[in-house]
Amino acid sequence: MIVRRFVVAVFAATLLVGACGGDPPPPPPPPAGPDMDSLRAYNDSVARAEAARRADAERLAAERAAEAERQRLMREARTTLEEMVFFDYDMSEIREDAAARLRAKVAILRASPTVQIRVEGHADDRGSTEYNLALGNRRAEAIRQFITGFGLAENRFEIVSFGEGRPLQQGSTEADWARNRRGQFVITAGANAINPGN
Amino acid sequence: MRVGRCVRGIACAGVGLAVGLLPLGGVSAQEALPGVSLGLQYADAYLPALALKPFTGSFGGAGVAPQVEAIVGRDLRNSDRFEVMDSLPVGLVGDDVVDYSLWDRLGAVWLVSGQVEGAGEGFVLILELHDVVYGEVRERGRFRLPQPSDEDFRMSVHRTSDEIVRWATGDPGMAASRIAFTMTDNEGNKDVYVIDSDGENLDRVTRYNNLVESPAWSMDGERLALTSWKTGVPRIYEVDRFGGNEKMVPPVRGAGDYITPTYHPDGKTLAFSVLGSDSRSGIFTYDVEQGCCLSYLSGGPWYDISPTYSPDGRWMAFNTLRFGDQVPQVMLMPGEGGSAETLSPYEYGNGGYYTSPDWSPNGDLVAFHGRIDFRGRYHILVANLEDNGRVLRQLTSEGNNEDPSWAPDGRHLVFVGERSWGFGLMIVDVTNGRVRSLLGGRRVGVPDWSPALAPR
Repeated sequence: MIVRRFVVAVFAATLLVGACGGDPPPPPPPPAGPDMDSLRAYNDSVARAEAARRADAERLAAERAAEAERQRLMREARTTLEEMVFFDYDMSEIREDAAARLRAKVAILRASPTVQIRVEGHADDRGSTEYNLALGNRRAEAIRQFITGFGLAENRFEIVSFGEGRPLQQGSTEADWARNRRGQFVITAGANAINPGN
Repeated sequence: MRVGRCVRGIACAGVGLAVGLLPLGGVSAQEALPGVSLGLQYADAYLPALALKPFTGSFGGAGVAPQVEAIVGRDLRNSDRFEVMDSLPVGLVGDDVVDYSLWDRLGAVWLVSGQVEGAGEGFVLILELHDVVYGEVRERGRFRLPQPSDEDFRMSVHRTSDEIVRWATGDPGMAASRIAFTMTDNEGNKDVYVIDSDGENLDRVTRYNNLVESPAWSMDGERLALTSWKTGVPRIYEVDRFGGNEKMVPPVRGAGDYITPTYHPDGKTLAFSVLGSDSRSGIFTYDVEQGCCLSYLSGGPWYDISPTYSPDGRWMAFNTLRFGDQVPQVMLMPGEGGSAETLSPYEYGNGGYYTSPDWSPNGDLVAFHGRIDFRGRYHILVANLEDNGRVLRQLTSEGNNEDPSWAPDGRHLVFVGERSWGFGLMIVDVTNGRVRSLLGGRRVGVPDWSPALAPR
């Protein structure tokens, strides 16, 4: 209050001085009083802003979640695409378990037309080194034939054989060999455009 | 068979594919595949005893003489043509005049004497082959040798060893030769290495630190063709024997695995296999000298791989998957391509796994390896093209054995042996079955034995 009074006094003094100097200044706006309407308006606007903010946050969170889900599905789809398939000893025939994995790849590849794949054929180290190059190629080719049999363009799939040269496991047990007789899948184009499909 | 007739000009009936067993001495019966009888068959070979008179030196050659003698002695042992006697002290046998009656009493049939003379930049080796029985010098020769520090010193001595073999037997030797092969490092990468026929001078050729397979010598022994994955896909490259001056042959882009190269005896044509190409799979040739003329020989969806030419280049043996999975077979066809016939004893429904053929430089034999029993063991086999009955001879009986390659003498094969102690390069004498280890305890693969190496 003391301050207020002092301010009023100064203000009055200023008016007096100004009166000597020329036209009177416009009257000051009336001080804002406790107006219920404007208070409500104020509160409403705050609520609206808060709601908008919350909605934004929710939308953002939802978007983020959707994006995360999309990413997760893409990662999953990518994992599915890259999942290895295995072969019987000295065979290039697609086994039933391999066929299931390949069908899962086909669904994704249909929905992701820009994705291209390199199919790598591998053999275990039993038998002839050079024959195993052919066997690896034959396995990769069998995979390509299986996949393109679903109507996918052949030029999306290149094949390469590594023979027995790149084993997953070094041992010489049946379990090691079974892991080494495989087809591997490398995404060579369209990795950012993997569509998980339905 | 018909191919045999064409190849060797020998009439042969179109009999079935059954493979007979010749009951020679030392047969050890094996579990047999239907239609195939196999066994270890070696003629009991008489080996004449050969003695080395301690080599002498003059004009500064004294220091080199024992080195030369040691190399020659080992080469002659490795030739498997002689029973090389242990060296005898100079004091016992004298150091100048040859006392034939003494050598005769010691049991020698042949005697080799040598003298090394200093000669300008290098040395001259004077060799004499004595016929102890007739008490006379059978052959004599003078050979220039470089300094022992020279890169070509040992190979120069090896060439003289081969000359002694030729003097005594009329047949070529194989001491002056090298073997190329792959070796796997601790990271699982492979590179090409070479080693002399006597196990010396192990040298690394490539430094790809990647995958490499199927090194193949050019006819002059100066270049190697190989398959490397260094760009991510298998392509064929030609390098010099030190790994330099690399070029891709044929220079191709796009799809297809280019594998299993081999040189035509003309020295300029390379044959190899292309798999999974957009156009065709099978065996192709390419002129590496002109750098042109990719030409298709055979193939199809079934895959033909691992070609090898007859020494006159008119025929080719190769491995095929045309009978399906699990039954790779060795077939023969004309060198420019054409209809093919099986060489290995394939019978529908009876299995059989025969791969990695290599045609002998004498033209009469094709070596390959096969799974010859149901325990899944692989052994080195030899088919004789002159033989009506197509006898398959089994040369190994222990462990697993793969990828035979002929020595320039047409008598020895190098192969990869897997034993309880590990892998190694081994050499078998096809005539008497003697096996020696060339390089043990390394993870080696796909050896290729060079032609006889002429002086550079």
